[in-house]
Amino acid sequence: MDWHPPATLDLAVSARETLTMASFAAIRGKEEALREAIRAGYGAELPYHAARVAGVGITFVWAGPNQWLAVAERENGRDLEAELKEQLAGIASVVDQSDGRVVVRISGPRARDVLAKGVPIDLHPRAFKPGDVAITHASHIGIILWQTDDAPTYEAALFRSYADSFAHWLFESAAEYASTR
Amino acid sequence: MRIACPHCGERSLDEFLYSGDATVRRPDFASPTAMDEFIAYTFERTNPAGPHRELWYHAAGCHAWLVVTRNVATHAISSVEPARDVALAGKPETKDGA
Amino acid sequence: MATADRRGNGRQPNRLETGGLIDRSLTLHFTFDGKTYVGHPGDTLASALLANGVRLTGRSFKYHRPRGILSAGSEEPNALVELRAGARREPNTKATVAELFDGLAAASQNRWPSLAFDLMSVNSLLSPIFVAGFYYKTFMWPAALWEKLYEPLIRRAAGLGRASDDSDPDTYEKATAFADVLVIGAGPTGLAAAQAAARTSARVILVDENAALGGRAIDDVAEIGGNPSHEWVKIVEAELDRNPEVRVLRRTTAFGCYDGSTYGAVERVSDHLARPGPGVPRQRLWRLVAKQVVLATGATERPLVFGNNDRPGVMLAGAVRTYINRFGVVPGRRVVVFTNNDYGATTVTDLTNAGAEVVALVDSRPQPTAEVQRLADTTGVRLISGVVTGALGRQTVSGARIRAHGGDTVELTCDLIAVSGGWNPNIQLTTHLGGRPVWDDRLCAFLPGALPPRMSVAGAAAGDLILDKSLAGGIAAGSAAATESGHKAVAVPVPASTAESDAITPLWRVAEPDGKAFVDQQNDVTAKDIELAEREGFRAVEHLKRYTTLGMATDQGRTANVNALAIMAEITGRSIPETGCTVARPPYTPVALGALAGHHRAKSFKPTRLPPSYRWAKEQGAVFVETGLWLRPSYFPRPGERDWLETVSREVTTVRNAVGICDVSTLGKVDIQGPDAATFLDRIYMNGLKTLAVGKARYGGMLREDGILMDDGTVARFGESHYFITTTTANAVKVVQHMEYCAQWLWPELDVQIVSATEQWAQYAVAGPKSRALLQKVVDPTFDISDAGFPYLGIGEITVGGIKARLFRLSFSGERAYEIGVPARYGDALIRRLMEAGAEFGVCAYGTEALGVMRIEKGHISGPELNGTTTPRDVGLGGMVSTKKDFVGHVLGKRPGLVDPDRPALIGFRPVDRSARLRSGAHFIARNATPTAENDEGYMTSVAYSPSNGHWIGLGLLKRGPERIGEIVRAVDPVRGADTLVEVVSPVFVDPEGGRVRG
Repeated sequence: MDWHPPATLDLAVSARETLTMASFAAIRGKEEALREAIRAGYGAELPYHAARVAGVGITFVWAGPNQWLAVAERENGRDLEAELKEQLAGIASVVDQSDGRVVVRISGPRARDVLAKGVPIDLHPRAFKPGDVAITHASHIGIILWQTDDAPTYEAALFRSYADSFAHWLFESAAEYASTR
Repeated sequence: MRIACPHCGERSLDEFLYSGDATVRRPDFASPTAMDEFIAYTFERTNPAGPHRELWYHAAGCHAWLVVTRNVATHAISSVEPARDVALAGKPETKDGA
Repeated sequence: MATADRRGNGRQPNRLETGGLIDRSLTLHFTFDGKTYVGHPGDTLASALLANGVRLTGRSFKYHRPRGILSAGSEEPNALVELRAGARREPNTKATVAELFDGLAAASQNRWPSLAFDLMSVNSLLSPIFVAGFYYKTFMWPAALWEKLYEPLIRRAAGLGRASDDSDPDTYEKATAFADVLVIGAGPTGLAAAQAAARTSARVILVDENAALGGRAIDDVAEIGGNPSHEWVKIVEAELDRNPEVRVLRRTTAFGCYDGSTYGAVERVSDHLARPGPGVPRQRLWRLVAKQVVLATGATERPLVFGNNDRPGVMLAGAVRTYINRFGVVPGRRVVVFTNNDYGATTVTDLTNAGAEVVALVDSRPQPTAEVQRLADTTGVRLISGVVTGALGRQTVSGARIRAHGGDTVELTCDLIAVSGGWNPNIQLTTHLGGRPVWDDRLCAFLPGALPPRMSVAGAAAGDLILDKSLAGGIAAGSAAATESGHKAVAVPVPASTAESDAITPLWRVAEPDGKAFVDQQNDVTAKDIELAEREGFRAVEHLKRYTTLGMATDQGRTANVNALAIMAEITGRSIPETGCTVARPPYTPVALGALAGHHRAKSFKPTRLPPSYRWAKEQGAVFVETGLWLRPSYFPRPGERDWLETVSREVTTVRNAVGICDVSTLGKVDIQGPDAATFLDRIYMNGLKTLAVGKARYGGMLREDGILMDDGTVARFGESHYFITTTTANAVKVVQHMEYCAQWLWPELDVQIVSATEQWAQYAVAGPKSRALLQKVVDPTFDISDAGFPYLGIGEITVGGIKARLFRLSFSGERAYEIGVPARYGDALIRRLMEAGAEFGVCAYGTEALGVMRIEKGHISGPELNGTTTPRDVGLGGMVSTKKDFVGHVLGKRPGLVDPDRPALIGFRPVDRSARLRSGAHFIARNATPTAENDEGYMTSVAYSPSNGHWIGLGLLKRGPERIGEIVRAVDPVRGADTLVEVVSPVFVDPEGGRVRG
């Protein structure tokens, strides 16, 4: 991916390229066992609504009914697919997503204005807060969106092949706020 | 139009795909009258001007199939349920206006 | 404004010394029809033209009558101009809403060769033939003359401006915004509503189509809350602008009301500038989603229908006040005010204060009201109870002929006739979802009927025309909307305001007018045309509209519809409600297509998906092709190759003799897990998959419930309850949707988890006799990929340079072949590694073209055969279909029509003359038959030049095809003029025994 975001005063865009991700889903009847395994293994309460929770060295993003995306830094060769397959054996189906999706971070006072040009959901602080998740689209490109802080900072996980088109839309939408320095 | 996805909240129409009638249920392939039943199930539809139960797919969202009860004359939506729950409840739906 | 000079040069004869909301310290230059004029920031093109004494702004659509400026807003039917030049030239812009900027170039429309001496105005003399229904009557016969004579004539005579032929250099965008309370219209009502709602801390969006907020609070002279009304506007505006939860969208028209309390609005971000700033769009299309909506869109003044009421110099009374009060322009020096209501009469005061002479106040009511009498007494204006029967003057108004109620007629010299026929509440948005307006006899106007959910209407739009009621209504509606959206009410007192009267007695048309009396000025429809429509039986309002074209111009008849309806009611002796009502469809005002497209134009029309090897392929000089959203390499030309056919043939030959590599990552990939995965797949696929061994792959086909083939691909089994399937590139999304449907709705009792993994894996086909040798250099040596260890249809998890990877022994080409998959981020590295490792074997990359040639050579089906009309049997897969299990399409696939042996079935073809070229789409006709639809026996689905055979080959669907091998039939292509004799052969043109795939 080539990232050449326009120089703006109020917006920072970057790609998080060092993540390991895996999606997982409970096997029927093992929902409670799954919750317990996540509690025991990572100290996190698995969200059953559109939310993102942090565990020890990992975050869990709700990705649909009975579907989660686990996200962690890929340091020391960490591979969440392998790790979760072991942790959740017999409890959940696990699929590697480390490469299927790229995560783009969009941060700064203009982030809401820029996202409003393609994301059709309400990102006002009263409607969407750090910890909230939305599966939606940005300019016709499917994303899982979450907010990480009140800067505000958002992260959008999108399928890798769309990265160039996404960047093109994002940077064109941000051009209005480009710095004239 | 906006549809309140039970999982994602209220979303704009362009996240959803309409995909047919939720009042018909797939017949048993082994029934002696399976052919007639499948023809009715696949092709025969009433066209009620009023409340109707429809299947929608939250394509740009959580990928849930939904049963939407909607007045097709006014677009007023009275309920949205996960299709899985409706299907598991197992009560065959009656055909509206049939 | 950077180039504006401060000298204030140029005389503006009608500009007042003081007053108005314009900035006289800056002077802007602009041209109209090539002549230079000056104006000030705050002007519209119309106000600046009037300030300069320009009154003639265009010619009418049908009769080419001179036309001027009727209004001061978006309802303007007449003053349509072309703005700007070159690629930014834009026709049909209302001069009354176009904001003036320095360097603006405007031109009148419908004038040839010049505005003042319009040769086409001869139409007026021919007007007996240009009556309503003219198009239908005159141009019905003879039809042959239409193209040659009538259409060019009409186009020449009746054009409405010229669009630029160049592509628009500006950008447009779309955005979504949400609010607790959306207030549409920022006149006194809307401002009061927004203020009341905002004080509850509700999230408020206030939109107004003008650059300046205030509506009639800046157009009229009044007091609100002890301040001049325009000062009150500033106070409220400052309060709203300070509130971070309030978004004020100026220059923004809410043009449509849609289901779910969603509104479309267009913001003219840069229309008031010569060109948009860097990165700034020209316009922005808003989708506004609101919990509650307050419609405060005000009302539009109605013209009066009398003789020559279209002459430049006849102007709506409210517009006259606006030009005086907002723009500091007095549009006439000797004025007749003609009204049927008290409010119109107050124009006398504004004119007098601006230094104009009001020569008469003509009130059509039998008795002047006390209000009007008092006005006459205080100003000393001559009050005539009567009507203006006609405007005098050829190009512009030079006088008025007035008939008093007693019958006396008088002609008065004047240069302006200010008219007021009452007010039409702007209720268009209440009707977009089907609401029917209701007639109000007291106001002589339609008021909103049943409202869209979550909308309330306040102020003039609700029939509260006078200021006091507007403000009270706005505050009440704003407070209620905020409360409804979940906020605690905050009491807001209603400010005191100037007392007003809205008394009216209808006057729909002046009897015995002197001259043509226009109802719809933009489409040139007169009161007589309505009479004609009635005589010819077009009495229903919808018939009237279509017969006369009334209300069908770009202004949607905003100043015309109610007058027309009332005249029809009068003629037919029915009441107005009996006659009908007027409803509107979106958009309320015209919306540029560019705004509707937004970002999605040219290359951004839809997103583009790039496969993992994209960058490498681009470096190689690959030629790309769009397949769905994907951009895939089509072929890889090398220096010296003359054309694509030579390149593709070289790629095919390399695969068949050595080894080639193709990026197949675009195929849909779905990971399916769960205890019931095997059962689930058995119900999705037509062939049995339960028996598939772990570590093996199998070809599979899936049907629609109606028995038609939906998609095909491979199913690989990685574990007892773990499958990995591929779909065609085109159907990847559809297959996942179908699987979710089956899992959630048809068989929710099955425990299965479905995850799309298309993008996780970069996957390359490595095909050809040397493929294993190549892979042995790449796959980590701990993995046995010998034919014994990794036979045809074997699959396995491997590593490549320590990276987890997957290997599938599958073949689409018919050669020994593998598909190797690595996590997508390594896709670029892997293609480079494979090409490097393959150099010693003479490897080449191949694209979709060679892929297509090789699958045709092998008789494999693809998109052209999976075309939504074919059954498994049609394409030679009938033997795969299980007869025992339930699966989607099982029952209906047995319908007699789908198992008819006469159905066209898949077969191969080669030209009898081996040098002939085949065409896909050609239809098969028996050799001795005539090429008619009755003799049609099927068609060619796919063709290719086969380098392995040295001639063109094809696949096609031929009636009873497999029984007819050896027969010669005609392949007829009338579209491209081809008629070729072809021989029916096996669809497998290469290695029919299938030995090569096994090595």
